[in-house]
Amino acid sequence: MNRVLTLASFNVSQIVAERAGLFLSWALFALQFGIFGSLMSHLVQSSKVQDYFFFYGVGLMVITVFDTGSFVGRRFVERAHEGELPYYLSLPISRRGFLESQAVYGIVATLLRAGPPLIGVLAFTGRLNLLGAFFALISLTTLGLGISGIMISFSFIAFKSIDIYNAIIAGLSALLVRFSTVFYPLMFIPSFYSPVAIFSPLTYGSDLTRWVLGFDPQLLLNPVLAAVVVTAIAVGTLSLSAGIVDKIIEGVKAA
Amino acid sequence: MSEFSRLVHIARTDFSYFFRTKWLMAILISLNISDMLVTGLVYKGLIAFDYFRFLVPGIVVMGLFSAATDTGRRIWLALREGVVQYYMTLPVRTSGLVAAYIISGGLGGIVYSGVLLIIAFVVVPPQGIMNAILLLPFLFILATGIAGLAAFFASISRVGEIYWTYAQALQVSMVTISTIFYPASTIAQYLPGPIVTMAENNPLSLAAGALRDSTFGGTALSTSVVFNLLIVSLPLAGIGALSYWIILRTIRIRGKP
Repeated sequence: MNRVLTLASFNVSQIVAERAGLFLSWALFALQFGIFGSLMSHLVQSSKVQDYFFFYGVGLMVITVFDTGSFVGRRFVERAHEGELPYYLSLPISRRGFLESQAVYGIVATLLRAGPPLIGVLAFTGRLNLLGAFFALISLTTLGLGISGIMISFSFIAFKSIDIYNAIIAGLSALLVRFSTVFYPLMFIPSFYSPVAIFSPLTYGSDLTRWVLGFDPQLLLNPVLAAVVVTAIAVGTLSLSAGIVDKIIEGVKAA
Repeated sequence: MSEFSRLVHIARTDFSYFFRTKWLMAILISLNISDMLVTGLVYKGLIAFDYFRFLVPGIVVMGLFSAATDTGRRIWLALREGVVQYYMTLPVRTSGLVAAYIISGGLGGIVYSGVLLIIAFVVVPPQGIMNAILLLPFLFILATGIAGLAAFFASISRVGEIYWTYAQALQVSMVTISTIFYPASTIAQYLPGPIVTMAENNPLSLAAGALRDSTFGGTALSTSVVFNLLIVSLPLAGIGALSYWIILRTIRIRGKP
């Protein structure tokens, strides 16, 4: 267990070392929430979405988690591609322990990037309560793990071409965000797009987080379904990732 | 081969790198098209006025911005991976090398946003195609200004991956404090005066406004808007060119930035 934590804390220390980047990411969040969120909430008709400001704030947090989760996943794949993985696997730690350390790193990275903005949004919109914040963090970190798992699951492409992997991940990321309920409720997505939005994990992560924070449930998906899907994606993609590390990534010649 | 033809050759090579980077093209195309055809359409159903028609010209300007800022990424990579040492051996002056990069950034911006503009014409019928053609040289100057700004940030990025943080900060601040996503009247109504002034004089707001009014709105191209676009874009190109020139000169003298 100590070894798992040592390896995870080494990775986390690299994020903390770039303090300027961390503070800047919070500042950019505040800028987007304070200006974009505030102005769009005045444009969006309150008869359609009440308190769009809060709705947008949660969406922005989901984007932060998505960025962090995909960064953790892509970083893992890029390191494997560049030949660092054999070094990590040569450490006196089991394969399972190595993957656990990556998961711990992913959770801490998500908490560091999304925790302060979450408290800020809840305080600013007058919805701060500890229980809600706690369950929102659980929902967001589970979503983050699922996103990292998706990025790692696509890693088999990286060993054919890292450029194609980056292209697919980048295009997929843009589409996952746009075709989801991150910035608008499902009922307002045109019928020709909504079937696609149903397949985006961000739809479930966003609606679940809004539900635990007390947003109007009529505009959200069923919370039980959302919780099941978010958990299933995290467990499913991480298990798939473990298999991929075993069968595909290990032993592949580095670039 | 004259100095000028060498400059053109370098600019052309750098310009081709932009369109050859598959992952970058995937990001830009999927972002811009989905912003136009998904985000614009969904918000149209939530907002009282025709938001789709309002947003589409803004997305064209965002495309120009993203393509032009890629100059910064290429300069940052060249500085980080030492390719810049190779550039310094080319038979071209430092100022020529700087000019080539800024021009290629401008070309990338104008070609990419030109493609988006054609797509925009399909989804929102234009009222003044001639005005769009007249605007192109000014949009090119704007793209060189943005490329200059990106070159500036690439030049001052010394540690690790900090360039990406700067690039993100540049994009978020310039796009958020602009009239790309919301009308100037909404900004004036709800935000304090200094932010309103910044948003109104932001070159992205000026370009988006010019496209909305003259190309999609059918009113005559305003000379004052075009003049303001030049006034704010040229200094940006100048600052970027100067900072990149200083870095290259330092490398030439000391062997490192």
